[in-house]
Amino acid sequence: MADLVHAAEPGPTDRTASAGASSGLIALEYAVDATRPLHGAGGGLATFAARHHTTAKSDLIAVQVRPGWPPRAGALAQLAAATIPGLLLPLAHGPGPAANGGEAYYVICRPPPGPSLAAPGRSWSEQELIDLVLRPVAAALEGLRAKGITHRAIRPDNLFSAGPGEPAVLGCAWASPPGCLQPAVFEPPYSGMCLPAGRGEGTIADDVYALGVTLLTLALGRLPLADLDDIAMIRRKLDVGSFAALTGDARVPPMLGDLLRGMLAEDPAHRTPPSMLLDPAAARQRRLAARPARRATRPLQVLAMPAWDARGLAFAVAVQPEEGARLLRNGAVDDWLRRYLGDTILSARVEEALRLRGQDSGEDESRADAMLAMRAVAALDPLAPLCWRGLAVALDGFGPAIASTVTAGPQNDRARLQEILEVEAIGAWLTNAENHPDGTALRQQARMWRSWLRPRSLDGGMARVAYALNPLLPCASPLFAGRCVARLSDVLGALESISARADSRRLSPLDAHLAAFLVARQDLAGGSALLSDNAVSSAPPPLAVQIAALAALQRIDPRPLPGLATWLAEQAEPTLQDWHSRTRRESMRRQLQACAANGQLGRLLALLDDPEARRTDALGLRAATEAVARIDGELHHLQDGGAERGELARRLGHETAAATGLIALAITLGLAALG
Amino acid sequence: MARSRSPAKTTPRPPRSLAWLQGLLCGALIMVSPALALLFGGLLAPGLVTLAIDHIPGKPVARAVLLSGLAACVAPARELWLAGLSVDAALAQLSDPLVLGTAWAAGAAGWLLAEVAPILVRLVLDVRSTARIAELRARRARYEEEWGLPPIE
Repeated sequence: MADLVHAAEPGPTDRTASAGASSGLIALEYAVDATRPLHGAGGGLATFAARHHTTAKSDLIAVQVRPGWPPRAGALAQLAAATIPGLLLPLAHGPGPAANGGEAYYVICRPPPGPSLAAPGRSWSEQELIDLVLRPVAAALEGLRAKGITHRAIRPDNLFSAGPGEPAVLGCAWASPPGCLQPAVFEPPYSGMCLPAGRGEGTIADDVYALGVTLLTLALGRLPLADLDDIAMIRRKLDVGSFAALTGDARVPPMLGDLLRGMLAEDPAHRTPPSMLLDPAAARQRRLAARPARRATRPLQVLAMPAWDARGLAFAVAVQPEEGARLLRNGAVDDWLRRYLGDTILSARVEEALRLRGQDSGEDESRADAMLAMRAVAALDPLAPLCWRGLAVALDGFGPAIASTVTAGPQNDRARLQEILEVEAIGAWLTNAENHPDGTALRQQARMWRSWLRPRSLDGGMARVAYALNPLLPCASPLFAGRCVARLSDVLGALESISARADSRRLSPLDAHLAAFLVARQDLAGGSALLSDNAVSSAPPPLAVQIAALAALQRIDPRPLPGLATWLAEQAEPTLQDWHSRTRRESMRRQLQACAANGQLGRLLALLDDPEARRTDALGLRAATEAVARIDGELHHLQDGGAERGELARRLGHETAAATGLIALAITLGLAALG
Repeated sequence: MARSRSPAKTTPRPPRSLAWLQGLLCGALIMVSPALALLFGGLLAPGLVTLAIDHIPGKPVARAVLLSGLAACVAPARELWLAGLSVDAALAQLSDPLVLGTAWAAGAAGWLLAEVAPILVRLVLDVRSTARIAELRARRARYEEEWGLPPIE
């Protein structure tokens, strides 16, 4: 299974792409012509013509990334310099001009050789399918498998051919989360039931399955099970097996039928590997003694959904968790497993889930039931994804799934995903999922995600997780509306250009989304911490924290930013009132204006975040308060001292009169003595 | 013993009256020189009257009147001394309107000074106090403006 966290470091193309963002070129080489859409070339995504900037060859395509559906960073990094025939490989990726005048994220690929295989008016013989579709695609898949990458977008409208007799080429699958554009019929049941963005990287066996469904679609000339909705289609596959469900009563050529039987095996470990598909004759002979699933003598009814075997029951509980939990609690499931399915091992596993449910009771009963249903699904079907309150997500699909709900998507899905992280449901799921190879690492990751989420507000925490798990997810801050800021190095330039708009300057430059973005991406900022995790808890963070983070970014890219500095200085204007001394405030205001004109955020920060000056100001205030207290005391004494003053005046007056008399007496006595 | 001592420590001792000493001195003066006593009695009559009616502790008005009157008594007393301290000479001095008027006028001046001086001193003190209040208010206003302190209530 691919890494749960797609924490791919930016490769060389990433860096050049960011450098080229301001120039309108992707990776400093590719220009997107957003006025020339190429319909059907991007396998479901909007696609435009692109050209190499220096050679002026306009034979490239730019596949536009949908908001909330981040491109596959790991695959893009690994395929940067790869050569795999039969596959539209990514040449570069990055932000470029969008058709609406703003910016969008693009993946540059070579153009498909012709129309897609979904184009009407083409019928395929068995030999053509084997020679022109199966073999080239299997070769491409083998190339991908060697690099540890999956394609996850194999379907007729993403396979292209130059014309009759020409081999098919796999289309671009890198501009969206793996499997998210696949109709559920092209996915194995455990993947088709997932949230589209949460299907995960999967394995190459899932690509083989999709290739099998594609071959069958081309052979039949129609999409199998097209008349069923996704739930009914998956139930049908689980009931009778994928091959039987998909082929139904249709007549499939014998060789192709044999190949499809191996490609559409329920267990991915039993599917024919791509290397073997290169030799269809040998692949046809491949036989695996897969034990058929044990079938009950009578079904267990989960609302309107009858379950005949363990996987069918797991799916019914996953789709209807409340009813499933009720049946689990009242013992109906255990009874059915023992009496009608005769599987005591599964029964013991379900009993263990019920025992754990007993430990959970006393807390939120609804949450305990959801946990029980999730544990039961994991126990009943080892292939099943994590199912929580009706939402299914593959373990390696959490990053794109969260991204799709944080930036857009239904609030209900976001709440359920957040609950999964909060209760560490992944750890509980792993307890019941048998022999998961990455159990310990996944538990640690689940704890880490929870720690990211726990101390924060709803949006900040989930956004933090989304940006951390999706290295190429553009920042969804409202400030960046119409812009595509997916890398740290793009942040300051975008803020500098936004600062020219007066309406934007009323807002805080570092809102909760951008704070979460910086916290998640700061590992890429040369190891220096831009923001503490706690900074995400408040929205927006304190101004000093904002300036510190942006100043740290400017240290990496030391271009002067007078617009942003002026914006921050304006935001700092109210905080000047925190200074007690009016003289210092005036001085600070003048210095702020000077620093803003200079465009150096570090100096702005040093000015605003000066502990010594703060201490001096506080000491000055204390001295002034004491001086005023003394003045008030003296004033009070003077104003209330009339009587005291009157007594003093009377005493002094009388003493003066007596002294005058005494002086007069002394003078006359002196005169008398002198004769 | 301790009981007997403690009230003596706490109870303030009443001021000693020197009236007996004054009476003794007056009696001695009458006995030694009746003429001089007669002259002083006549010339210092306003002071003696003030002494009787002044109820202010320390009798500051009477003191001023007597000291002023005494200053006017030096010359007549010297004349009486040179005339042999006779009662006739004392009566002659007392019958001289200039001598008597001067002594009583001096006493009146002493009284006037004792009445006016407190008012003048109060006036000076009030002026100084007002100036000090204005200075303090100005200093306070500067602190208020610089440090944003609330004005005085």
